[in-house]
Amino acid sequence: MAGTPLARVMGWLRERLPIDALEEFASHKTVPKYRGSIWYYFGGVSLFLFIVQVTTGILLILYYQPGVQTAYESVRFTVVHVRFGWLVRSIHTWSANLMIFSVFVHMFSVYFTKAFRRPRELTWLSGFVLLLLCLGFGFSGYLLPWNTLAYFATKVGTAITATAPLVGPWLMQLLRGGKDVGAETLTRFFGLHVALMPAIFTAILGIHLLLIQIQGMHEPHGWKDAPPAERRTMPFFPNFILRDLLLWLIVLNVLAILAVMFPWEIGHKADPNAPAPLGIKPEWYFLFMYQALKYFPGKILGLDGDAVGVLLFGLGGLLWALVPFWDPRLPSGARNRALNWIGIVVVAAILVLTGIGLS
Amino acid sequence: MSRRALATLLVAGALALLTSLLAALIAVPADAAPAGVDQCYTCHHDGDTPQALAYTKDVHYQAGVTCADCHGGDPTREDKDEAMSPARGYRGKLRKSDIPAVCGRCHGAGPSEFHAKFGLTDVADSLAAGAHGEALRESEQGPQCVSCHGVHDIAHVEDPISPVSPGRIAKTCAGCHADARYMRDFNPRLPVDQYAKYLTSVHGRLNAQGDPRPATCVSCHSNHLIYPVKDPRSPVYATRVPETCAKCHSNPRTMAGYHIPTNQYELYRKSPHGVALLQHSDLNAPACNSCHGNHGAAPPGAAEVVAVCANCHQANGELFQRSAHRDAFAKRNLAGCVVCHGNHGIAPPSDDLVGLAAPAPCARCHVDGPSDPNAGVIRHMRALLDSLRTGQVNADRMLDRASQLGMDVADAQYDLKDVHQALVQSRVAIHSFKLNELADAIHPGIGVLATARKSAEDAIHDYYFRRQGLAVSTLIVTIVAVLLYLKIREIERRQRERDEC
Repeated sequence: MAGTPLARVMGWLRERLPIDALEEFASHKTVPKYRGSIWYYFGGVSLFLFIVQVTTGILLILYYQPGVQTAYESVRFTVVHVRFGWLVRSIHTWSANLMIFSVFVHMFSVYFTKAFRRPRELTWLSGFVLLLLCLGFGFSGYLLPWNTLAYFATKVGTAITATAPLVGPWLMQLLRGGKDVGAETLTRFFGLHVALMPAIFTAILGIHLLLIQIQGMHEPHGWKDAPPAERRTMPFFPNFILRDLLLWLIVLNVLAILAVMFPWEIGHKADPNAPAPLGIKPEWYFLFMYQALKYFPGKILGLDGDAVGVLLFGLGGLLWALVPFWDPRLPSGARNRALNWIGIVVVAAILVLTGIGLS
Repeated sequence: MSRRALATLLVAGALALLTSLLAALIAVPADAAPAGVDQCYTCHHDGDTPQALAYTKDVHYQAGVTCADCHGGDPTREDKDEAMSPARGYRGKLRKSDIPAVCGRCHGAGPSEFHAKFGLTDVADSLAAGAHGEALRESEQGPQCVSCHGVHDIAHVEDPISPVSPGRIAKTCAGCHADARYMRDFNPRLPVDQYAKYLTSVHGRLNAQGDPRPATCVSCHSNHLIYPVKDPRSPVYATRVPETCAKCHSNPRTMAGYHIPTNQYELYRKSPHGVALLQHSDLNAPACNSCHGNHGAAPPGAAEVVAVCANCHQANGELFQRSAHRDAFAKRNLAGCVVCHGNHGIAPPSDDLVGLAAPAPCARCHVDGPSDPNAGVIRHMRALLDSLRTGQVNADRMLDRASQLGMDVADAQYDLKDVHQALVQSRVAIHSFKLNELADAIHPGIGVLATARKSAEDAIHDYYFRRQGLAVSTLIVTIVAVLLYLKIREIERRQRERDEC
């Protein structure tokens, strides 16, 4: 072993990097093994899908040309003429959707297992920002092929931001780069999607992962008080890592099947002068908000109904992000059924509203 | 004098006075004309004025219309100054622009004695609504009633002496419409050779022979309510021309004796020309006058048919004119295009027109056999056309299948339009009746077809390749996953054994 090329490379690296310290750290790191351990893996799945997104996104950039005259054509060229271009784009699109789904599952699992509690408030907050960035990725990336659905969905989506109190019109102008969705919006969204947001996302993701490593995996309620025989754990390395890898392989298979069997359509090129197609709606992960806004009356206490709706969603999101700080049972670390019920209502509302929106 | 005698005298005097007064009141003046006498006509006739002499023959005179009915004044006065006093409504010679209104008192919309008696129609308002009324409003020199009907010698329309009788109407219209200087004041763009052309037309020649049935100006343009040709209300507006011609040409009674069919309109209506013009309102589609001419209307002779059709089908005409068929048809007095395509009932063009079996027109002259050296050429031509047409259908079907499989073949489907173009060009090239020219037109389409077929085959192949690739990759990933799972179990088994030790 000592003389093998791998051993020589490792030896060369050990002289220059704290590999021994990392091995030492990994050998002592354990993951609680219990009924809810399955939820630990969704963070890893989200990370895997992010890696897929970065990889396929870089490949797509090789051919993508932002601009109202070139965007659609370049995507079409990629799909039709570039070898495996169709596969790369289809994987990128499916992976984006699966990633957002996985991030939502990860967030709710953390919420219901109360993994956001002290000392993991910053992990929760960084995760919440990552969720917002994921939605931002989805929103900005959806427009890039410049097809009819994307164009009008972006029009609707950016118009909703305009209803936000005080900053709404300014925010819409900032997003669109003008009064309407056009060439400026496309280049702006492209910049956000491939440069600004990936940079911010990578930085926050680094912090998020570092915090997890520093604080270790969250232990379930009553774990510390349980007898040592009942506190079953598994080594983080290699057991948890290999299980993570196994799940990644399964997700990769699912992703490949979806991408090949249900390739994402390009649709028709956007025509700003054409009437909006019937039943235009945003992507599924925004649908619950879009659908909920429909139920708000035109005027509420003299205020614009949509503005009130956006304001309530904003406040709701803020409360959700700050849950580690207002959780009433926080000091005792006890179970909190009220918090569970709030979570169940939120999940049920999202599922029902999304279902109505899709139907 | 006794009181009785005085009373009698007074009564007698009073009666005499009363009688005198009554006589004075009811007495006819010394210069008044006898009752029922038109003093205007009497004086002017006695004075041999041309108007009065002419008026003697006028239909209006015979109907009891007096001079004063048009000119005003008092026809009962013998005294000229009194009869022609403006105070008695006399207005003398009428202004031209006033004439339609004066005629319209009887010939207009309002009720009149003459309306009831002669069954007159509202021609005054019709004149005002049409192009002539518009011209009259523009200029005092514009056309009005007397421009066509005459002034004091107006005869019935069907009277041969009337300027608007069938035998004279064309010349009457030409009085203005053939006068370039006059027409310049109203519509300088309007041709002034209609009458000259009309005289050369079949209509004009028959009319000149005294036949009252052939069309004159008013048969097509109407008489009083005349609209410009480009006005959709005009009977000679492009889409209305066939119907206007059909009024006579589809009427067996009108056409009796001329020995021409009366089914042209029915045939035309169903032809591609008729469908385009009448159903799709395509003003570029030909109407009757496009081929026959309008004012100089005449059936094109056998030698002229190609030139007529080539007005629109230019390339086809040029190719035919330099083909062997031109002379061959001329020798047999066959009317060019009509031989294969028909005339009024032109059938939609089809590749079935090329072939050696009936009803293909080639079969009328050519024989399918070794005796005809051109039979092989005809077969080859048909095969070339068929190969392009069926190739297009097959390629379209293949691309459609690829599309149904979810593959993007939009580029190939777009390129397939070039095959349609080649097909159109080849159907033009066939009029050269030369195999090499047809082949030259078809070959680009064959090339596009080959590319389209390959695109479709590639797309369909790609579809199955993707699924096969998916199956292989899924299998490999699954095997790796299973091996990894086994490895995890082995590691955990070793860990358990180590922990138990």
